[in-house]
Amino acid sequence: MNASEEMKAPRVKRESKNRIRVDFDRTPLKERLKAKFLNLNFILKIVIFIFRLVFLIGISYVVLFPFITKIAGSFMSSQDFVDVTVRLIPKNFTLDIYRAIFTELGYWNAFINTMFLAGSTALIQVFICCMIGYGFAKFKFKGRGIIFILVMVTMIVPHQTLQLSMFMNFRYFDLFGILRLLGGDGIKVGVDEAGEAVKILTGLNLAPHHISDSGALVYDGLWSNTGLNLTNTYWPMLLLSLTGLGFKNGLYIFLLRQFYRSIPDELEESAYLDGSGTFHTFLTVILPLSIPMMITVFLFSFSWQWTDEFYTGLFFTSSKTKLITDIVSIPESLKIEYAGTQLYYTAIRNACGITIIMPLVVLYAFLQNFIVEGIEHSGLTAD
Amino acid sequence: MTNEVKMKDLTGANSSPKKRKIASLDRRKARSGWLFVLPFLIGFAIIYLPMIWDSITLSFNKIHIIQGGGYWLEFVGFENYSKALFVDPNFVQTLVTGLQNLAFDIPAILIFSLFMAVLLNQKMAGRALFRAIFFIPVILSTGIMETIEASDILGTYMEGTSGIDDGSGSSAAAEIVSAVDVEFLFQNMKVGTELTQYVVQMVNNIYNIVNRSGVQMLIFLSGLQSISPAIYESCRIDGATAWETFWKITFPMISPMILVNAVYTVIDSFTTNSNVVMSYIKTVYSETDGQVVSSAMSWMYFLIIAVIVGLIVAICSAFVFYSRKND
Repeated sequence: MNASEEMKAPRVKRESKNRIRVDFDRTPLKERLKAKFLNLNFILKIVIFIFRLVFLIGISYVVLFPFITKIAGSFMSSQDFVDVTVRLIPKNFTLDIYRAIFTELGYWNAFINTMFLAGSTALIQVFICCMIGYGFAKFKFKGRGIIFILVMVTMIVPHQTLQLSMFMNFRYFDLFGILRLLGGDGIKVGVDEAGEAVKILTGLNLAPHHISDSGALVYDGLWSNTGLNLTNTYWPMLLLSLTGLGFKNGLYIFLLRQFYRSIPDELEESAYLDGSGTFHTFLTVILPLSIPMMITVFLFSFSWQWTDEFYTGLFFTSSKTKLITDIVSIPESLKIEYAGTQLYYTAIRNACGITIIMPLVVLYAFLQNFIVEGIEHSGLTAD
Repeated sequence: MTNEVKMKDLTGANSSPKKRKIASLDRRKARSGWLFVLPFLIGFAIIYLPMIWDSITLSFNKIHIIQGGGYWLEFVGFENYSKALFVDPNFVQTLVTGLQNLAFDIPAILIFSLFMAVLLNQKMAGRALFRAIFFIPVILSTGIMETIEASDILGTYMEGTSGIDDGSGSSAAAEIVSAVDVEFLFQNMKVGTELTQYVVQMVNNIYNIVNRSGVQMLIFLSGLQSISPAIYESCRIDGATAWETFWKITFPMISPMILVNAVYTVIDSFTTNSNVVMSYIKTVYSETDGQVVSSAMSWMYFLIIAVIVGLIVAICSAFVFYSRKND
């Protein structure tokens, strides 16, 4: 036995009946660190970590840079756009653009209108898509496959294809000509003579009306002989949402169908045994289970409706109802002509965009963990 | 009781009600299935179908607006279609460009979103933050923001290092990867120039790709989550490397999601407003007599999408691996 081995071996000494004392020499710190950090495995781990971090930060930069430039530009004054030394950081910090947007462009009016529209359609869409998705996932009935293909078709048909006929359909809204058949001239009343109910409906943009040849505002009754004019009201969006035909509803139905498939059948079966009807089971057992998924769909639906300009541009032909997408314009007080006009106007439009998405950013900040966690725990599979 | 049962068994007439009762339970479930999808069916029948029918008939007609409201249609057969295909100088060209872009986009988006999903699925510090950042474009860069983005000259201005506008169109700094460098790099690796071009294009186009792969990333992430960790564990015990595990386990298990995402990407990039064909159809729509021509165009466009989606489903289904077959 040589000396070094003797030194490494722990020495056990009995101190008392129930206690022993072990003396050993610790490996020097240098040696320990070497063993821990200087092997291939650790180095590889570090390299991968750094690469991953750099890559993720790089992509994050790519994602965030447009927003950074927009925000930076929105605080610049008009001189900054002809100053070559100004890039990302404004030299003359000013809130002029935002002040003009909020005071001149009717931001709050548009905000409330769009909040009502996007909120109501998103809530309806979430509920209806849950229902339809659940129907596809859990019930076997004849023609299920075909109906599901029809859902996919509504997703594939580009909405520009239906642009004209969609407008015509809601401009002269009529169920198979039933309304026309029943006849009638519509309730021709002015704004003052209209009842309270109509006034409230008008306030909510829900009263069908059109401008007659003489320029008077005419409210369409249910028995109007030309069909109801639903443009410039929220009805087209609400009707499309109620029937699961709204913007990207095919995707929501698909996601929810996949989600409901992963819920074990036993859950409902036990509810049925307890005497619960299918719809009651859906409301009390299934819906509470799918809240994270519903929040995800709500977030999508709300924000896509919020920034949508196709449907709102199609159905809101008059400038009376201001929606959030209409505020993108140059405020009167900021109109100037100089060398940097192009850049300045772009900055103003960008600032409009910032104000538009601000509510969505707040919403996203609160709901963002649902968006991943909700889908994560769904066991979403594609079969 | 036993007597009764025997009686029922003996007489054929009595056994049928029992059967009917079972059948009616099934039927009742089927009926509630119909009830659940009823909103869609009603909407499809009374709103969507008439719209499709109108749109198809309009594409074969010419609209004459009557003074003071109303309109009448004149049947012109395939005139709108031939106008779109043979008279319009830009439509066919735009269509070809659109298809070329798609051929480029689909693999890029699929590869990128799968890669990101695998990356974001790993446990690491700041994962929640990165996830939140990567889903920002899905929520914020749609609709009106896309329109604003399209005319955003400020972004390139701020990114550039030269003066306001040097007239060269694009500044060198804006191109993240200079094609020459990468080509030099790849020449030694003996891969074709096409691949080099593709990679260069993909990197330069990264913003667009990141922007459009949000939903796909989400679907892939959920797919990755549904793979049982036990499989990975047993692989590790058997000594498989991460690379092998990805190709032998992750890839086959995620392949149904690849099909779903491929279809979704096709539909999404075909029908988004920034698509070249869509924006062209939009400009045609606002021209005189353009409404009918644009619906003819978009119907042809729809047929092409449908064929491509069908092709992708047919090709991908051959390679898709399903771990369990139910239904």
